Amino acid sequence: MILKIIKEKILFSLPIILLYYFSFYHFQIPEVGKINFFAFNFQMILIYFYTLKFPEVLGYGNIFLAGIINDTVLGIPLGTTSLSYLTLSLFTNYIRNATLRSVMTSEWFAFIPALFFSNLIYLLIINNFSNVSFYYTELLQNTFFTFLFFPIFHYFFSQYQKLFFRE
Amino acid sequence: MADNRDDFIIALRYALLKKGAKQKFSLFFLILLSISIITLDKFSPPFMSSVRSTLNDFVYYVSVVSSQPSKYKKYLVKKTKLHYSTMKDNKYLKEEIEYLKKQKFNNAFLSTENQILKKALDLSRVKSFEQDFSISSKVILDQESPFLKSILINKGSKNGVTKGMTVFNNDYLMGTIIEVNYLTSRVLLLIDLNSKLPVLIGGTEINGILEGTGKKRNLQLRYLPENYEIEPNKIIFTSGKDGFLVPGIPVAETYLSKKNKILIRLLGDPDQALIVNITNGQVEK
Repeated sequence: MILKIIKEKILFSLPIILLYYFSFYHFQIPEVGKINFFAFNFQMILIYFYTLKFPEVLGYGNIFLAGIINDTVLGIPLGTTSLSYLTLSLFTNYIRNATLRSVMTSEWFAFIPALFFSNLIYLLIINNFSNVSFYYTELLQNTFFTFLFFPIFHYFFSQYQKLFFRE
Repeated sequence: MADNRDDFIIALRYALLKKGAKQKFSLFFLILLSISIITLDKFSPPFMSSVRSTLNDFVYYVSVVSSQPSKYKKYLVKKTKLHYSTMKDNKYLKEEIEYLKKQKFNNAFLSTENQILKKALDLSRVKSFEQDFSISSKVILDQESPFLKSILINKGSKNGVTKGMTVFNNDYLMGTIIEVNYLTSRVLLLIDLNSKLPVLIGGTEINGILEGTGKKRNLQLRYLPENYEIEPNKIIFTSGKDGFLVPGIPVAETYLSKKNKILIRLLGDPDQALIVNITNGQVEK
């Protein structure tokens, strides 16, 4: 009985575990030619999906804390990533309240302005609150592939929720 | 029109202030908290540096633990490759030993001749690389970031490391310390956009500033004389014009790329650095 409860708790908290894990550890995928095709922001996809579809799984407090950890690991001003993630959450919260029926394609395209605004916040803070120079092309590539990979992860996350929670 | 605007404002207010299912904090509160933290971090009041240092140490060590599975995978791949290349190396080394045996007598003569010449030039008394601080450190993290090309090392203020110290890997300049915590430090690599180093092109009297571009095989030389064209296979040394590093430390080299373009690459590969040496700037005594 206790084991079953623990298992359920772990399965329910897996998105939070993944969010923290990828904030602590930034995996590196070797570059293919000049473009790193697989460089994408997994946390953004995870936050966008879960705050949009299953807000009870991913708390804003966890998102905020994961952002602080991310900033510490990357050595950028504290709170930058948190604010960027929270902007994304604000966007999803707005979409959730403004739409009646959710369709994957519309969610995917709504991801464009969400990514744009969260990255804009990111850029503004980095430019105004630190002396760090920027790799704009790298960030642009990263954002593009984050957008491109969203449907794949949408499928996996939806299947995961269906499989374990029948939602 | 006014109704649409009202709907938008209501939806936005709802999104900002309503905590929703099982949410402990409202978005509005957390956004305000983030802005406060960014402001505090920017203006750095006295308590903030110790808070940040403690947080850095904690996060770095957890980050090291979380990167272990990946490191183990890399270790396995490396060991497998090593196993298959050992046979090949063994054959090559046997041939090399034979060759070196023949060279040994020749080297003995050259070494003696070198000593005699050094004595004649009085070079042996030059102490350009003397240090009053030198410490070895292990690289604990080399996270990819679109903002900073940096590595984390396991020595901090506890071991006497201070901001601005220089870091070497295999006698090649690698970067400088930009952040010091109690147990760990962050090294800004020469390949980073923020890195600028006064250098001298070997075999010439041309001075320039070596700048990072984020890529280890494509650094840039700025402020070169007009109409000067870089030649391939030139070693780039520190010029010492910053008054901090002694002149003559090899840093980078020029090379001809596959597309017949002359590019600049670092002599030491930051990705391969496992143990680094931290010094207090190679100040000449």
